[in-house]
Amino acid sequence: MSDDTNPIMMLIWIIPIIIFVFYGQRIQLYITSAEIKKAIKKLDGFKDESRNELIDYIKKNLKTKDDPIKKIDRFLDYFTIMPVDMDPNGIVDKVRHTVRSREDYTRKHVKLLSPEISDFELAKVQTLLEIASSLQMIYKIVNHMYLTAKKQNNYPLILPLQMLLPFIMEHAEAMKEAIPAFKAGQPVGDGIGPMVVGKMMLDSQKETVAFQTVLAKTEFENRKLFLLKAEGPSSTVGRPADALETIVSGNKLDAIIMIDAALKMEGEDSASVAQGFGAAIGGIGIDRFQIEEIATANNIPVFSIVVKQSVKEAITLMTKEIADQADVVRSQVYEMIQENTKQDQSVLIIGVGNTAGVPQ
Amino acid sequence: MIFSKKKITTAYAVEKCKKCGMLRKRKFTEGDILFSESSKCTSCDGMTSIEKIFGESI
Repeated sequence: MSDDTNPIMMLIWIIPIIIFVFYGQRIQLYITSAEIKKAIKKLDGFKDESRNELIDYIKKNLKTKDDPIKKIDRFLDYFTIMPVDMDPNGIVDKVRHTVRSREDYTRKHVKLLSPEISDFELAKVQTLLEIASSLQMIYKIVNHMYLTAKKQNNYPLILPLQMLLPFIMEHAEAMKEAIPAFKAGQPVGDGIGPMVVGKMMLDSQKETVAFQTVLAKTEFENRKLFLLKAEGPSSTVGRPADALETIVSGNKLDAIIMIDAALKMEGEDSASVAQGFGAAIGGIGIDRFQIEEIATANNIPVFSIVVKQSVKEAITLMTKEIADQADVVRSQVYEMIQENTKQDQSVLIIGVGNTAGVPQ
Repeated sequence: MIFSKKKITTAYAVEKCKKCGMLRKRKFTEGDILFSESSKCTSCDGMTSIEKIFGESI
């Protein structure tokens, strides 16, 4: 008897097929679950590590009146409810109001923890708090999605999580690795814009033009330069759009040049420099919206220079490759000014990004 | 682990002499801030300022 007519051999073939038809999804769920469980354990570790680092930092460096642990745990659980967008009219103002209210609240309450805290330390603690609460939120969401899929024994429910997990883990790992740089007050990859403009500002008089944002005026080949960046070396991105509004109200600008870090695409070289048009500024979008509005209303062309980097490079200690590009970017800024403006015109140069460890 | 891929990042500061332009790379120390005056130049009597702060992974 040959193998194909042997009933035992037929059973060996047919039983697994039947098992896979009826229990295939469940088997896949178990295999995927094991992978996700490992990631959740890692996320749980990141969450605890960032919380402990924050508590340690506060206990060692700030003179707190009471035990800060309870308050910190409450901060970490804070959530933000974004405004309803069924009617998008006026949504940007609402988002700005919500986001800034949260920032102001956190700032005020960190200050209450230690009333003598300096602005530099305050910004640092706020950043560490933001990292810890983001990691806590990521852990909670991933865990919720996993447990729901498991409870319902629903394989398709776990698929989106499985697909997104590598990206989520990349972000979470980057955030965890960002903590030492922010604690030590070192510049991060995102600080390349402020680093370029900060050096251009060095010998000029600085004035505060918006919250945590400084402006310096200088000249270059008979052109008036307005140099703008967040106020370093604190860990802040400032409010460049508010500053632009103030500058435009008293001056006529002929061009805006924005320097920022941009996420590189896969295959692109890290620290490569690219030029383009439009407002180069990340974040939730409120600053970009405001800058675009002002530029359009005043007919000001917006040019941008970006330094490409990965998520991790953007929020961890600046790499040598990125730091080495500062001089290249600076010379490109001057070239851009020469090519796009005439003598006696005015140009605003904005160094966009977190200015941690980058003074002016 | 022997085969661990974990990289160790060390922070460095690059000092540049304002007078002779000599560059010197050294390990980052607490309190180092970009563009701030750092130390006396080793080849002339000028002052150095911190030109760059960056990390290198090994």
